[in-house]
Amino acid sequence: MSAPAASEVVVGDTVAPFSKRVTQEQINAYADASGDHNPIHLEPDFARSVGLPGTIAHGMLEMGILAEAIASWAGGNANLLSLSCRFSKPLLPGDTIICTGTVVSVDDSGVATLDVAASSDRGDRVLTNGRAIVRLSR
Amino acid sequence: MPDKSHVGRRYTAPGQRIAPESARAVAQAIAGEAAVREPDAVPPTFAAVYCLGPTLAKLFGDSEVGMDLAGLIHGEQSFEWPEPVRPGDVVDATAEITSVETRGGMTIVRLAMEAIRPADKAVVCRGTSLMIIRASA
Repeated sequence: MSAPAASEVVVGDTVAPFSKRVTQEQINAYADASGDHNPIHLEPDFARSVGLPGTIAHGMLEMGILAEAIASWAGGNANLLSLSCRFSKPLLPGDTIICTGTVVSVDDSGVATLDVAASSDRGDRVLTNGRAIVRLSR
Repeated sequence: MPDKSHVGRRYTAPGQRIAPESARAVAQAIAGEAAVREPDAVPPTFAAVYCLGPTLAKLFGDSEVGMDLAGLIHGEQSFEWPEPVRPGDVVDATAEITSVETRGGMTIVRLAMEAIRPADKAVVCRGTSLMIIRASA
């Protein structure tokens, strides 16, 4: 899928939902790659001891998947200029994260602002209050 | 436990190298096989590794602030990337405590952070974080 050109993007356009199942193996891989070995992500007994249902995905892994979803819509990592979100609900291993985005403005220089979010296939709103700014191709 | 007297404390983590193999490992952990589309790109949220992580580690090591890691939740995060970082870049990361609030037994710490590439003085990342420390049970 090629990135939409700035002239084709209008307010209300949506990013096709981007789904990805997140396994404990992927969480382990992210922990090793990022160096974040907090046991709430890796050790079920520890996670339960601090009141969680079990291990949870790193918030930054979820945000990374959201960034991947929006950047691939915009034509590449370099076109993602900013991203923000709230980590509202945990994503558990085995959940599928579903990332979405809606264009809320496009300026004359081809920079678009999107409302973005992620939910789980169990219906939890995982990432909320999300906002992304992307540079569109001319 | 953090309090308002800690606002303004700064933490520096100079000399963070954007290791190509590390950036690739994070890209693959995030995107799987899709990451091979841009093999030389640094995933945007790799800022967690070169900017957020190392400065947070300094904050967590500040015994005068005394962050309670057991009850810590990453509540919100924003990043902007004024200039792209490339594999092999070296950046200096800093973070500052911008506010501390106590609300309903929770302590809410806000941080602002920045990563600068000294080679050309480019700001490659700015961010804000909201960390929530839950009251101990």
